[in-house]
Amino acid sequence: MMLQYFENLESGINNAIKENPESASARKRYTIEIARLGKRLYSDTDRKAWAGALVPFDLLNTMGVTSCYAEFMASVLVSTDIGMELLENAEQTGYASDTCGYHRAIIGAAHKCLMPIPEFLISTTSPCTGGQAVLENLARLFKRDLFVIHIPQDESDQSVNFLADQIEDMVEFVANHTGSPLDKNKQCKAIENTNKAREVMSDVYNLAKQVPSPANGRDLSNFGIVMPLFFGTEAAVEIAQFYRDEFKSRINANNSGVPGESLRLMWLQNRIQFKNTLVKMLESEYKAAIVIDELNDITWDPIDPNDPYVGLARRSISSPLHGTAKRRIKHIIELAEAYRIDGAINPCHWGCRQGTGARGLIDSSMKEIGVPVLNLEVDCVDRRNFAEGQLITRIEAFMEMIESHPSPWKK
Amino acid sequence: MYYLGIDIGSLTCDAVLIDDNEKILASSVVPTGARNHEAITRATDEVLRSACISEKEVTATVSTGYGRKRVEGRLTAVTEITCHARGIKALLPGTHLLIDIGGQDSKAIELDENGQVVDFAMNDKCAAGTGRFLDAMARALQVDIDVMSELDNGAHGDLTISSMCTVFAESEVVSLIAEGVKVNEIVHGLNRSIASRTLSLIKRIIPDIIGFPIAMSGGVARNSGVVRAISNALENKVAIPPMPDTVGALGAALIARERYSHN
Repeated sequence: MMLQYFENLESGINNAIKENPESASARKRYTIEIARLGKRLYSDTDRKAWAGALVPFDLLNTMGVTSCYAEFMASVLVSTDIGMELLENAEQTGYASDTCGYHRAIIGAAHKCLMPIPEFLISTTSPCTGGQAVLENLARLFKRDLFVIHIPQDESDQSVNFLADQIEDMVEFVANHTGSPLDKNKQCKAIENTNKAREVMSDVYNLAKQVPSPANGRDLSNFGIVMPLFFGTEAAVEIAQFYRDEFKSRINANNSGVPGESLRLMWLQNRIQFKNTLVKMLESEYKAAIVIDELNDITWDPIDPNDPYVGLARRSISSPLHGTAKRRIKHIIELAEAYRIDGAINPCHWGCRQGTGARGLIDSSMKEIGVPVLNLEVDCVDRRNFAEGQLITRIEAFMEMIESHPSPWKK
Repeated sequence: MYYLGIDIGSLTCDAVLIDDNEKILASSVVPTGARNHEAITRATDEVLRSACISEKEVTATVSTGYGRKRVEGRLTAVTEITCHARGIKALLPGTHLLIDIGGQDSKAIELDENGQVVDFAMNDKCAAGTGRFLDAMARALQVDIDVMSELDNGAHGDLTISSMCTVFAESEVVSLIAEGVKVNEIVHGLNRSIASRTLSLIKRIIPDIIGFPIAMSGGVARNSGVVRAISNALENKVAIPPMPDTVGALGAALIARERYSHN
């Protein structure tokens, strides 16, 4: 069923582009690549692994292992017709209904035999201990080996080396399971691709900073968190280039992502994954553009292709959702200033440490630079908990509040 | 010229008519019921009749409340947060914190020196601690909601209704009655629970509220027991404007006048 879903997704977009070549947006190219990944995950031919969000996918791609983090599949599953059934199924197996919807969806899908059985699993202890537990559950359910990468909390050389050693061990673990050792030449090429993608993504983000921004609220949604799945491949470079070309062309034509952009917003953490009208409402009624998502940033340096493990370790530790709240807030404030935002929306995803744990600290720190934060209480995955009318009132009140005050960047 | 503000809440539909000098000519509060349009028509008719004004003479209408987008012929729809802030600015200028507890929402709204909203917080996930919560508790206690506000007289205990889910709280109240706990102590406990919940909402936006001018609007502001409990929890006086349930509708009427003049 899911294989059919991804095939339909890819062919549907390709047909639309064929009929109208001008509609070939960067977002569509990006979605095609996601569909291809989904097809590979559900194929009978590819070697597969379920992984944690901070796993170096560049290396898995190099070693011929099709992989993704389980939360990504959850966001796809809940947008299908059976999404809610999966969540209910997880609750029937003992998951509380107010725990993270991403994880409930995965567990529900696994029990419904909708998660492909992997050859092995690789988890990361950060950014989410819930995700770690889910992979442990899947490993047990599928009777497959699980390799755990312990991500240290700080960026000291000792921590980086500790993680780099584990990445090296992970490569050995993968090689033992696939029977194919890592080809150093392929690894070198993959890291070069990663660095190239990094450079172009950085260009994309810098273009999005322009006032008005060439980005609208949908263009780069989930971009920063999904792109690592393609790292090491030429596809990652191509997707980023499509975005860079599209944004450049919009800027040259004096077209902003949201026509008549009036307000600029930041979205914290993850987007709401099922269909909803909130972003469209922000754009049509308030000319408000979500110009930056918290996870859409390059927080790491280029990686040495000949000695990549230290660089890959530094990249994992540099994730904005990893480490102390203080570090995360510093990053959010840097983004707020760079993108000149008027306000930020924090969905405060149900049952999530990142979503709710630091929200008071984020509020007060942003207030200090004159940027208000709207805290919603949304289950970003489970639409059964989505009270759209209540959310619209909160968002509209927030927009009315921002409109009645001068922008912090024009004082 | 005349300006109409309509606040369509979950429990009541309120209307306020003002003139060009911002003078309140008439106000009305009717039950919303299941049919918004009927309530809107009834509230509008009541204020027009009371002020001897025909519908054609109304220059502009602004709607607010959860049913704000169902008002036909409106100039615009504005959220209740902005409207309550505008209304309290007219009635109690200098208010720094406005607490609005209506039928299904409770809100803490921080205002600047110009009466503009600088921050707000609302109840999420459930409507415990709001007007509907009090209605349910009055039913459980088998008392009239209008007399409930004085039923905590003489209570000094520290009973707190621990569960703030309306259904569970109702069960807890029934159990307390069965245990022989006096009604005034139960009502006092309910009021303290609402105050505790409201305080959490307030502290999210203003951690230190001592000394700030505080006001309360919405239908629950008519309940003096709840107001006392909130005031005690805040260690601060809470001012109540005349007709607290029509503050949102008044704000909407004032915004109608401003937006019409601006356009």
